[in-house]
Amino acid sequence: MPLELVFLLEQVVNGLLVAAYYLLIALGLSLIFSLGGIVNLAHGAFYAIGAYSAVVIGNRFGFAASFVCAPLLVAAIGMVVERFLFRRFYRADPVLTLLLTFGLAMIAEQSLRMIFGAAPIPFSMPEWLSGVVFVGDFIYPRYRLGMLGVAAAAVLATWLLINKTSFGKIVRAGVQNPDMVGVLGISLAPVMTVMVAIGVGLAGLAGVMLAPITGVHPAMGNEIMVAAFVVVVIGGLGSFWGVVLAAILVGVVRGVTVYYVPPAAEASMYLLMFLVLLVRPRGLLGERIEKFE
Amino acid sequence: MKTYAPLLVGALGLIVLPPLLLSLGLTLTSATDVVIFAMATLGLNLLVGYTGLVSFGHGAWFGMGAYAAALFQRHLLPDSIVLPTVLGVLSVTAIAVVVGFLILRRRGVYFSLLTLALTAMLYAVAFRWTEVTGGENGLGGVVRPEVLGIDLADPWAYLVAVSIVGFLTLAFLWRVVRSPVGTVMVAIRENEQRAQFQGYPTNHYKLLAFTLSTAVTALAGALFVFHHRFASADPLAIPFSGELLAMVIIGGMRNFLGPALGALFYILFREFLSIATPNWLFYFGILFVGFIVFSPRGLVGLAERLLAPFRRHVVEAAAMAGRKIEAMPLPAFLQPRSRVDGPVIACKGMSKSFGGIHAVAALDLEVRDKAIHALIGPNGAGKTTAFNLISGMFPPDEGEVRLMGEPVGGLPPHAITRQGLARSFQITNLYKGLSIEENIRLGLQASHDARFSFWRDARAIGEIEQQAAELIRFLGLAGIEKARAEELSYGGQRLVDMGMALATQPRVLLLDEPLAGLAAAERERISNLVLTISRSIPVLIVEHDIDRVLNFAATVTVMNQGSLLVSGPPAVIREDRRVQEVYIGSGIAAIQERPRISAAQGEAILELDKVNTFYGKSHILDDVSLEVRRNEIVALLGRNGAGKSTLLKSLIGVAPPRTGTIRLDGGDIAGMPAAGIARLGIGYVPQGRGLFAGMSVRDNLHLGGLRRRTGHGVRWEEERIFEFFPRIRERLDTPADYLSGGEQQMVAVARALSGDVKVLLLDEPFEGLAPAVIEELFEAFDLLRREVAIVIVEHNLDLVLALAERAYVLERGRVVHEGPARPLLEDLELRRQVLWL
Repeated sequence: MPLELVFLLEQVVNGLLVAAYYLLIALGLSLIFSLGGIVNLAHGAFYAIGAYSAVVIGNRFGFAASFVCAPLLVAAIGMVVERFLFRRFYRADPVLTLLLTFGLAMIAEQSLRMIFGAAPIPFSMPEWLSGVVFVGDFIYPRYRLGMLGVAAAAVLATWLLINKTSFGKIVRAGVQNPDMVGVLGISLAPVMTVMVAIGVGLAGLAGVMLAPITGVHPAMGNEIMVAAFVVVVIGGLGSFWGVVLAAILVGVVRGVTVYYVPPAAEASMYLLMFLVLLVRPRGLLGERIEKFE
Repeated sequence: MKTYAPLLVGALGLIVLPPLLLSLGLTLTSATDVVIFAMATLGLNLLVGYTGLVSFGHGAWFGMGAYAAALFQRHLLPDSIVLPTVLGVLSVTAIAVVVGFLILRRRGVYFSLLTLALTAMLYAVAFRWTEVTGGENGLGGVVRPEVLGIDLADPWAYLVAVSIVGFLTLAFLWRVVRSPVGTVMVAIRENEQRAQFQGYPTNHYKLLAFTLSTAVTALAGALFVFHHRFASADPLAIPFSGELLAMVIIGGMRNFLGPALGALFYILFREFLSIATPNWLFYFGILFVGFIVFSPRGLVGLAERLLAPFRRHVVEAAAMAGRKIEAMPLPAFLQPRSRVDGPVIACKGMSKSFGGIHAVAALDLEVRDKAIHALIGPNGAGKTTAFNLISGMFPPDEGEVRLMGEPVGGLPPHAITRQGLARSFQITNLYKGLSIEENIRLGLQASHDARFSFWRDARAIGEIEQQAAELIRFLGLAGIEKARAEELSYGGQRLVDMGMALATQPRVLLLDEPLAGLAAAERERISNLVLTISRSIPVLIVEHDIDRVLNFAATVTVMNQGSLLVSGPPAVIREDRRVQEVYIGSGIAAIQERPRISAAQGEAILELDKVNTFYGKSHILDDVSLEVRRNEIVALLGRNGAGKSTLLKSLIGVAPPRTGTIRLDGGDIAGMPAAGIARLGIGYVPQGRGLFAGMSVRDNLHLGGLRRRTGHGVRWEEERIFEFFPRIRERLDTPADYLSGGEQQMVAVARALSGDVKVLLLDEPFEGLAPAVIEELFEAFDLLRREVAIVIVEHNLDLVLALAERAYVLERGRVVHEGPARPLLEDLELRRQVLWL
């Protein structure tokens, strides 16, 4: 294989990796949004909390423990936030929820700063996951491939949950017509709590997995949050496959731009977003939702 | 005096600010920061508080203003400050026009997210584009030179200069918000759709608001860069935009000076807390969230709430006792000046489909001058859709619409309104937070030459003031014109809705159910008003009160299932068999031939006692009492808007009653959440079926039974359901929305039964179905009566009366007749008495 092509391929795989963690975050964002109408600007904060808990748990009990426990901890925090804050806002002006969650993000970031300091905290990956994998000319870090696998599994699990279980049926029905679901004797409130827990839990999982690669710092949530929103807006608010498609698109475009025009890497996804919105105002696979117009 | 109060307060604030901050131990730098941030937030609030567009990325404009001014000074105009500022603001404003044009196409959350993404993108660009922006290091070397012999490098001199610019900005913004453009901005915030139907091209106004807002914020940014003599990417970072928004919210977005207060609060908070703790933003965040949750109107709102007990509040409202009603002729300025010989409105072959359903099919309609033309027909006949097509809410798929000979089909609402058509809305559609006077005034202003002025004082245009007063007197709302629209009684709101349409000085008026939900006296008054209006301005009216319509209309057009049924003078319509059939049936359905055997038992399963239900202020159910016995089928009859569907919704808990009791097997269920009521054994099939699209029939049924295996009533397993609806069995894996209408209805009923059910509520189960399917459903219901009690709302009287044992007739939310169904079924004369005119 010509070297040039190998480099390009490597960037594409790198892009897919980026896509995977965008996807974990964007998916949760989209789930919470489509069922409850909450545009959760604090979603990035849950990602950051996931990363920090991974550091705390990981340093004491090892990476495997943090991999399991940190997302659960984040999900638990999400349940509390849903129960005491989000629940008051489901029928409110969605713009108010933007402001609320923005404030929550601010509080979370500052809390992390207060507890852990402003400096980045290094977090090394365990021995057994470091090293590289060879596939012909293609060399790739083992950890990153593992990450890709875990992310894919999480997305698949979410898809199965939504499409193949009773719980998922309630969720899909509730997105369409919450009143009708109630009329069939099903209370949506506990479903919402679980959905928020799953959504932010996915963000927490992304935080855990990214921690060894990017390090851990208080503003990390803020950075990823905007990217995740770009993914959701490109994909179309409330569309599962739209979000998957957009995450891959954004990840790969970004990976390739990093290689050819490094300074434009950040800006590339925004450009992509504006282009998509000009052609398809509701995103690639988005549908019209009256409340958010 | 009140006209200049905010300017006086602002000036006073600017004078007091420096000594105040100095006495608190802060520096002049902080004072200048306060003034600059106050300017930026006042600009932002023009968008957020006034126009209702929440920009999450206003830091972008602040930051660009800063960069632009710095770049102009460094590269083109060294040692100059005024020109770089002016050029910087102008160039940013030019960018804002383009950006605004693109992102204002989206509203609500989408707009907020786009602004957020814009600033994130600019941050990324500024951070990387080192040659121009200095990247991480920023741009230094910005100087404050001498201007007119005053050395601005001196902090005091610069503070004074900034304060002067700040005050001029304040005065400018104050003029803007008081101008016609300012009033339209508020109208857009309150109800953009209605503003369009009053004749305002709202997109132009939004772009104007966006441009003004960004220009002011960019000016603040430019002053900021000279203040700190340094430009960086920091203002482009999202947190800064959030802080600007926080200042607006904490100060109070519904108050002109609120945001400035927020800016002062922010600086004080920052300066004092940052001495005590490096994490002052944490406490600021908590405060911000606290305001969102407990006082979204900020400090100003908080103060108003605290002072409320000490202030005399003008509740001119609910009773409308203060108003003076006098019978008046139509004000002269509303008299049309032009004579129209042909039809005022002429529709030819007008059609519109929604997802394969012909809402309006090839409708021909001609409205003549100086008379009332009524459009009637049963539910779903397409009357409101016809209104929407004529007034521009949707473009017609086919056919043409002419207004006084000019084609208007497909034009946007504001253009059609400007050509002389005005409409009211079925569901009251007002600027709720504004006074009656404002609601009316905005309509008048839309046709005035000053409508695009952002400089004139809107309240000083004598002509409009005088016309508003006259129109308010004509409507009988004089004496309460300062009351907020949302505080009015429902009847008052209907009047304002009509007044808003009339205020645009139309050549023809469309009224959509102006009398619905009104008490008798109000109906009388409003119909007299409509009569008076119609002597000068032709009125096309949709109304369900057929008695009244046949009494005052010159022409009546009857629609049925999207098409024209018949059109003619009232006397003809009254006697027309087809019209009567549409409303009360023909009494000759074959299905009724076979006598049905009642399964009803004596014991009541469902008892309603004096149930009253409201939608907002509209009183829908008025002291309704009825009972349903075990295994009985009860029909609810009555015209559109009589409250039948609402009664079912009250039973199932979707529209909980305000007072009264509903007993199910003896236990009161009134006010319980819908899910709880459903679990007690009530199944509900809403109008339109409410199936979950994209989900299979099996999944739909599964959801029905998921939480309702409770032991309350008869257990409905799938096999049992198939006995009644055998067709469903073959369709189990088909997505529900792919089924035919009849099959969908069967699935909807089956889903409502799944689980344990003892009472079944059916809302228009036969609507839009072919005769063969209707018969199939009918037989199924006939068998179902042995299992459950059924309450059915259905406008096909032949069918429903053949099925039911007893019937209740509702009129305007009251039960006006109750009794066995059979006499109504067989005696057409009795039926006419009870249900026709």
